[in-house]
Amino acid sequence: MPAFTYQKCSDLSQAMKWLAEDKDTFLLAGGTDLLVGIRGGKFKARQVADIKDIEELKILKEDQKGITIGAGVTLNEIAQFEPVQKNVPILAEGCNSIGTYSVRNRATLVGNICNASPAADTAAPLYCLGAIVKIAGPGGERQVGIEDFFTGPGQSALKAGELVTAILIPKPYPQGKGVYKKASRTRSVDLATVGVAVQRWGQEVRIALGAVAPTPVRASSVEKAINEENVTDAAQAASLVEKDISPISDLRGSREYRYHISKVLVRRGLEETEEVCS
Amino acid sequence: MTEKLTISFTVNGMEEKREVPPHQTLLKFIREELKLTGTKEGCEVGECGACMVLLDNIPVNSCLVLAAELDGKELVTIEGLAKNGELDRVQKAFIDHAAFQCGYCTPGMIISARALLERNPNPTDEDISAALSGNLCRCGAYQEIRQAIKACSK
Amino acid sequence: MPTFTNIGKAFPRIEAEEKVTGSAEYIEDRCMGPMLYAKIKKSAIPHGRIKRIDTSRAEALPGVRAVVTGKDCAKNRVGLYLVDRTFFAVDKVRFFGEPLAAVAATSVEIAQKAVDLIEVEYEELPAVFNPLEAMKPEAPLIHEDLGDYEVVPIFYPVAGTNISNHSKIRKGDVDKGFAEADVIIERDYYIPQMQHVTIETHKAAALWGFDGKLTVWSTAQSPFTVRQLLGKCLDMPLHKIRVVSSYIGGGFGGKAGATMEGLVIPLAQRCPGYIVRIVFTREEDLQCTFTRQAMYAHLKTGVRKDGRITALEYKMIWDGGAYTEYGVNITRAAAYSSAAAYDIPNLKTDSYCVYTNNPVGGPVRGFGMCEMQWGIERQMDEIARKLDMDPLELRLLNGLKEGSTTATGQRIEDSSFMNCLRTAAEAVEWGKRDTGKYRGKGLAGLVKAPAQPSNASSSAIVRINEDGTVHLSVSATEMGQGMLTAMCQIAAEALNIPAEKFSTRVPDTDYTPYEWQTVGSRTTYACGHAVTAAAKDALRQIKELGTIALGVPVEEVELEDDTVFWTKDREKQVPLAVLANSYMKPTGEGIHGPIIGRGSFIPSNMTNLDPETGQGNPGMFWTFGASAVELEVDPETGEITILQLATALDAGKAINPQQCKIQVHGGTVMGLGTALYEEVQLKDGRILNPNFTDYKIPTIENTPYMKGFVLETPDKGGPYGARGIGEQPMIAVGPAIANALADALGIEMNTFPMTPERVLKAIQEKEKNS
Repeated sequence: MPAFTYQKCSDLSQAMKWLAEDKDTFLLAGGTDLLVGIRGGKFKARQVADIKDIEELKILKEDQKGITIGAGVTLNEIAQFEPVQKNVPILAEGCNSIGTYSVRNRATLVGNICNASPAADTAAPLYCLGAIVKIAGPGGERQVGIEDFFTGPGQSALKAGELVTAILIPKPYPQGKGVYKKASRTRSVDLATVGVAVQRWGQEVRIALGAVAPTPVRASSVEKAINEENVTDAAQAASLVEKDISPISDLRGSREYRYHISKVLVRRGLEETEEVCS
Repeated sequence: MTEKLTISFTVNGMEEKREVPPHQTLLKFIREELKLTGTKEGCEVGECGACMVLLDNIPVNSCLVLAAELDGKELVTIEGLAKNGELDRVQKAFIDHAAFQCGYCTPGMIISARALLERNPNPTDEDISAALSGNLCRCGAYQEIRQAIKACSK
Repeated sequence: MPTFTNIGKAFPRIEAEEKVTGSAEYIEDRCMGPMLYAKIKKSAIPHGRIKRIDTSRAEALPGVRAVVTGKDCAKNRVGLYLVDRTFFAVDKVRFFGEPLAAVAATSVEIAQKAVDLIEVEYEELPAVFNPLEAMKPEAPLIHEDLGDYEVVPIFYPVAGTNISNHSKIRKGDVDKGFAEADVIIERDYYIPQMQHVTIETHKAAALWGFDGKLTVWSTAQSPFTVRQLLGKCLDMPLHKIRVVSSYIGGGFGGKAGATMEGLVIPLAQRCPGYIVRIVFTREEDLQCTFTRQAMYAHLKTGVRKDGRITALEYKMIWDGGAYTEYGVNITRAAAYSSAAAYDIPNLKTDSYCVYTNNPVGGPVRGFGMCEMQWGIERQMDEIARKLDMDPLELRLLNGLKEGSTTATGQRIEDSSFMNCLRTAAEAVEWGKRDTGKYRGKGLAGLVKAPAQPSNASSSAIVRINEDGTVHLSVSATEMGQGMLTAMCQIAAEALNIPAEKFSTRVPDTDYTPYEWQTVGSRTTYACGHAVTAAAKDALRQIKELGTIALGVPVEEVELEDDTVFWTKDREKQVPLAVLANSYMKPTGEGIHGPIIGRGSFIPSNMTNLDPETGQGNPGMFWTFGASAVELEVDPETGEITILQLATALDAGKAINPQQCKIQVHGGTVMGLGTALYEEVQLKDGRILNPNFTDYKIPTIENTPYMKGFVLETPDKGGPYGARGIGEQPMIAVGPAIANALADALGIEMNTFPMTPERVLKAIQEKEKNS
């Protein structure tokens, strides 16, 4: 492990101070991506600022605005949080799809998002839920919609000196039925070859996909067909997804396979949530 | 040169105070400083589970934790399970069911199994799969591991 | 039926408590004294000349104690069968990741930093990554000096080419056989590289004593073979080399032979008194240690309408990688086993081991049998479909029976292949059709003999302690097989002292007696024979002392547990402890001294093979088995769900039935992993997936419930009828799955692993063609 200094932060201003002082400061919340990245040379960290125990980042609550998930909250805590299980179970599914149980005891939702992998299992559910990313920085606080947060593979809307403090799942929730469908090579502790989130409520549907474009993407064409053009045939609607995605070939699957699987999973997601419409 | 940090913690019930380099992982610290060599290294990136320990009673991959983070926390390693010379019931069940071969993954596997039984005394196959899928066993003793855990169920 | 008191019982592993408490010592857990830590500089290109290595900046780094390059090290080559390798590249590099130089420093971090400071200048050479290309005359030569290499004369390198071995089998007359056939099937198959990925990576440490004695700690499966290879490579007498084993965190063939040790020895030589240790990272383990050789197979099988196979022509082309010192033997074993578990009267096999600039191929559980029997077992099913026969019936008809002959004309003395097939088939309710649309059943047979030189030998020492308990010394390594436990049970049986009263330890060449290697599923058989002999030798001494003590003829003296007695009157007895504790006459005159039994074993039933026809007896024993599977496929995603899985093996005699069963299950899991997920993905010799993120092995989550069966048809030559079963359970799993896929969907999978994407592609192609 390459050497770095370690700063334990007890409040947000400390973390901001370290970020401002040294651009090679990396934040440690769960550490499950960070330490792997430092070991592998992906992150050249001179300093690690531990924000895990900052009280205000450990927020996990539901109020009139919705569900707020602080940057220090682990994936297991989220998946076991009753309001998540009750109101937005699709997010729990996404959280539980990441890594292993012990990794999820450390890994955070905010960390997963900040890593900005197009294959992040939580991203597609968050897209469907219209999540809002709360950011703090030298210029004060700002909020960004989840879809604007992802800007490319490993790239996010975070600017130098900024950090994500929380994610808000805003009310009203798209309450109906949501499913997260994931194709992978082994169906156990594997990265998504394709991940598809489908959320339906009333006559509306929202669909997002991971691992099929430089960022997670909404299946706008499919959504439009269903929401606006009254297409009721799931297969017909799902086939439009190819307009919304631009997958590449890699170790986890070829471009062609991803096109095919995207259609299959979108269709299945639509079928499995169909009951909401009737 | 980075300065060492002082940390206070308990390990297997004993209070300790040590100095650690800021970039040292908990795994290296456990093995090289505490000399608790039952915790194993298999991948260093949280994918094999051989380094599983309990941190404040929760199973974590010690290769993905900094030793510095141990400050103020409780650590339990495989060496901490047997009490008064008596094996833990999970350890006994692993022997009875021949739930290991080379034994290299076994400490981590037992830590995960024990944590599972603590939070869920009567786990289903699915629960066992979800809790232990981060512990790789190349000898393939999974079926026996499942049986050993079920034998410990209430 | 003889009754046994110590074998055939689920005696708990003697190292069980150590392993569940974390106190079992693996090499890295040993507190070994003043330490230095080593890292290696690895080749960044697959093939090229080394023009310059500049280590000056590395040497200048504070904390660095020694830096060595290939030029600084012993020039002797090393190799088990074909002596084609040096521990460090000297003039040329032949694969990406080949060790070029090494550093010993006061910490791993400093060693790594120093390694990064070593500058290497190469002259790149054209590289070749496909053995079919590499065997062509115009291909770039990887070993220009192949013709000069020392080689065990049972291998046939072709100088001036990249072919490092060509093994031939000529049995009967294939032309005649094909003329008699009603149906001929001809097809290509392919198996990619896989990796052992033992959870404990490869590790080694060395200490150069001031007396010139070299001590080596190693994860190696075979301490004595390591010692022998080091002695030869370093021109050192064997009494100056000590190789110490620890518990090994999985071997599966990957830790056979000698590899890692040579990387730390030259560093240790330069830092006497310090233990220099190297621990491979997961990434290094995948890139720099043995992989399973990829294999291209071409099979042509002739069969009569009644299902009898008349001829087989088999061509195998193996991707040996950059060095084939060990790999040549895999290609030889595959050749001499090339009729698989079937009685094929006319056979022509050509097996080529070919150098490429890929990672080094070497032994992996199965030793060529998974690769070789894949094609045969696939073709058996194709034949069955063509003839509209039950694949089980076809196998029963052609399977090797007692008195049948193998590919090399070796007579099969005892076979329960039919029994294994039927057992596995019954376990998945063979013949019962499920209504599920995308469900199928498949089975495959298997056979394997240990691949070893005909003179591979073993030895054992049994020491009766002063109180009548026993210490057993052997040098087979404990890497999970339960060897130590099984050996104690065998010794206990032969001595008639309960196994609980035995102690034993992992090997140390200075303290434990010779063992060739712990490979080939041969330990229970070969080491077991040595142990039996040692126990009997000790028993003979005990009885001779009993004769003196009891005053009765030696043939009327027996031992049971702690008591030596007269068979005609048990009241006349003497405690074993009295005899064992430097027994003397009442007058004080000593008689015999400590009781030490010794036993050796060397097989007498093996012969060399004829160079032209390959005929002879290569098998010390043959283990038969079968796997059967029922699965369901998602036709839209290609995902396979295993519904039922069974493997049956014939262990001859299960010394420890519980440990046999778990071996069968564990091997089946590994077979499942290779069949469904595992593939070393290579691009220009570089491994693209050197981690568990992308080299996937089974987890508890995707491992189905299995049924393992351990049959017991005694092996006429084995100790208590036992034969080995360690490697065998993984062999038939892959083809059984592929056969079930064919049954479910009519698709033909001709390569591993059967990933969802590959299965889907096969489904789509079938739809396109129909």
